[in-house]
Amino acid sequence: MDEAGGSLSVPHIEVRGVSKSFGGAVALRAVNTAVQAGTVHALVGENGAGKSTLGKIMAGILAPDEGQVEVYGRPVELRSPRQALELGITMVAQELSLVPHRSARDNVFLGMESVRGPLVDEGRDRARVVRLVEEYGIQVDPDQLVGRMSVADQQKVEILRSLARDAQLIVMDEPTARLSSAEARGLRGMVRQLADGGVTVVYVSHFLEEVLAIADRVTIMRDGEVVRTSPAADETRSSLIEGIVGRKLEAVFPARRPPPPEAPPVLEVEGLGREGVFSEVDFTVREGEIVTLAGLVGSGRSETARAIFGADRATAGRMTLDGAPYAPRSPRDAIRSGVAMVPESRSAQGLLGRMTVRANTTLAHLSLFALPGGFLRSRPETAAAEEAVRTVRLTGATIHSVITELSGGNQQKTLFGRWLVSRPRLFIADEPTRGVDVGAKRGIYDLLAALAEAGMAVLIVSSELEEVLGLSHRVLVMSNGRLAGEVAGADATETSVMELAFGEAKA
Amino acid sequence: MTLTNRSGQTTSGRGRGWSLLTDYGIIWATLLIFLLLSLTADNFFTPANLRNILDQQAFFLIAGSAVTLTLISGNFDISLSACFINATIATALTMNATGSWQLALLAGIAVSALCGAVNGAIVAWARINSFIATLATSFVFYGVAYLMSNRSIIRVTEIDFSNIARGRIWGITKATWIAAAVVAVFWVLLSRTRFGRHVYATGGNPEAAHLAGIRVKIVTLLTFVLTGAATGLAGALSASRTLVGQPHDDFTFVFTVLTAVIVGGTSIAGGEGAIWRTLFGAFFIALVINGFNLLQIDPIIQRLIQGGVIVLAVAADNWTRSRRI
Repeated sequence: MDEAGGSLSVPHIEVRGVSKSFGGAVALRAVNTAVQAGTVHALVGENGAGKSTLGKIMAGILAPDEGQVEVYGRPVELRSPRQALELGITMVAQELSLVPHRSARDNVFLGMESVRGPLVDEGRDRARVVRLVEEYGIQVDPDQLVGRMSVADQQKVEILRSLARDAQLIVMDEPTARLSSAEARGLRGMVRQLADGGVTVVYVSHFLEEVLAIADRVTIMRDGEVVRTSPAADETRSSLIEGIVGRKLEAVFPARRPPPPEAPPVLEVEGLGREGVFSEVDFTVREGEIVTLAGLVGSGRSETARAIFGADRATAGRMTLDGAPYAPRSPRDAIRSGVAMVPESRSAQGLLGRMTVRANTTLAHLSLFALPGGFLRSRPETAAAEEAVRTVRLTGATIHSVITELSGGNQQKTLFGRWLVSRPRLFIADEPTRGVDVGAKRGIYDLLAALAEAGMAVLIVSSELEEVLGLSHRVLVMSNGRLAGEVAGADATETSVMELAFGEAKA
Repeated sequence: MTLTNRSGQTTSGRGRGWSLLTDYGIIWATLLIFLLLSLTADNFFTPANLRNILDQQAFFLIAGSAVTLTLISGNFDISLSACFINATIATALTMNATGSWQLALLAGIAVSALCGAVNGAIVAWARINSFIATLATSFVFYGVAYLMSNRSIIRVTEIDFSNIARGRIWGITKATWIAAAVVAVFWVLLSRTRFGRHVYATGGNPEAAHLAGIRVKIVTLLTFVLTGAATGLAGALSASRTLVGQPHDDFTFVFTVLTAVIVGGTSIAGGEGAIWRTLFGAFFIALVINGFNLLQIDPIIQRLIQGGVIVLAVAADNWTRSRRI
């Protein structure tokens, strides 16, 4: 790795050979990088590239499995945020950690209130917060309740809290992800000001223009490894994207047979929107076609899928299913119309962990096995579960296994099996292979291809570019709640998808 | 990205025997105490004493079977006592007014089912925590009971009405037979029907249940209505047994019932449980109390031991549960 820039002093923080895994999933692999004092240092990469993990290790929120962290050349063991704080390092996380029912001032000094005897010395804290606000030009009302503030102001409170603790280095994880463009601009100004005042900022973001605008140096990450670290002035948007993506597709995907040209549309979506979440989404999925909704997390992909499944109510637009008007008011409506959805999180939204594969498989179609009065006939239910489990190729488990005893891959296959008890017309799968092992991934790809070949319309939501490109006939890319474009065939490359996905920065 | 496979079989590692012991712990505990009492207490294993235990448990089992559904669907119902009291009063009033035992029973059940519907609607649609919601409605229902009875004890004038609960078939009270029937109905409802499956799904993972097309709110409402109706039946039978409907505001009934359900091993977190658990839970507690009385243990000491036994039973259950994951 070439260290561009030449005459560099001892870095503020440096990681050497840092590795980190989560239950077998490797997040960081022998990462080296150094952050210079008083600079804004950006970490960029795809979802899952390891940039947040690296930020959290620098802030002592996660401990590395291997490797060394050095602060001003001195090896340190950051075992907790508290230890990091003693070294002047804090983090402003994606999920803010403020107490909503207390004022900004109380939050800033939480755990380090000025006291006079047993009582909190409010006057002194008020003076302290005013001094901080003046020093860094961060405008917030110290007496307002945090719960009543905008996200942008809450972030300011978090930053003030860091500064009140004499932070020299602040790690910010996607600080603008939930801000409007004006707020994002304000935050960027503030970050610059902090750096000019001598504070080091590690800035994790996937908004490339934003990174180019404020960072002094950029570290590009991919698959848990550092691609390169270089001065931001040497990078361009396309050089960043190239670095973020740069990898060959592996041939792990089933052969794609495009649907015949006369295949009728199954789902037609026109001007679909949900207020404040996504809008003006138009597309069609035809019989036998696999269409993917790609885009960054938060771009409105999952929300669009949920609206089509009736899990969230669409507030604008219309849909048709096999030519008939389709406006589901609940998942129950959608299921009755022949729509199925494997949700984003299988444990939180999909499975009943304490119950058997059989009960989970037949859950959505119990009426098929019910006599009048709702009595379930055990034999046909078991037969249907067996059949579904065979279709999805559950391995090493039976329909009588309890869900929590299954591997991630088998759990996911069980969820697929749930919808194959009947024959849906439209099959939606949100992150179909999240957290499953390689073998099960291939199984799920084969299954999705088989469903399309059997005449279903398949709509996939996925963050994994490889899978988006390897599996689908067409890719719809969403960005900031809108369809940014559509790519298919030879035009569908990692670069073209990422170009659309990164869209325009919040300028 | 490489991901390791989580190992397929992770059940506690001690094999089938261990899980048979822990999964059915409440059965072994109940049988053990039954055996101990048979050996140590002279008057325990007598037909009269056993019939007496069965009869005393009838009301708790009727309400307990139903509220087991509510707990499995992820909710509490603290208002059982208040529903119960309204049912006794409505039954007594209707009996005196119409002279029809059928109408009297129906009135008790209907009033209490209505209370259940109010609870269910508040929990499902106003999304108020069920513990708080039913605690609040308890006070309302207690108030209604005082108003309905004009703050006085209602005595049933028709003495034969007591035959509904006290009459005997093959030496066993009708109340016991009715309780057995109710337990059987809820057992089948929970373990053999679509509705039962929906109850488990609603408590186990409401979001997943919703996304599987289950009408979670309707299921919630129905568990409360069924609990209300069953509690109403218990109240009506109580009015028959005592020939009295009396307003008061005492939570003993609901705590006895919930103790039986929870000691039986139905999860207060929802999603897990069974009617047979409530059955054994109720008898476990009943045997403990009966044993104390037969062994002439000081009632104050009894309370200490009873509380300790409940904590132990639930702690043992939690412990084995946490090892199962």
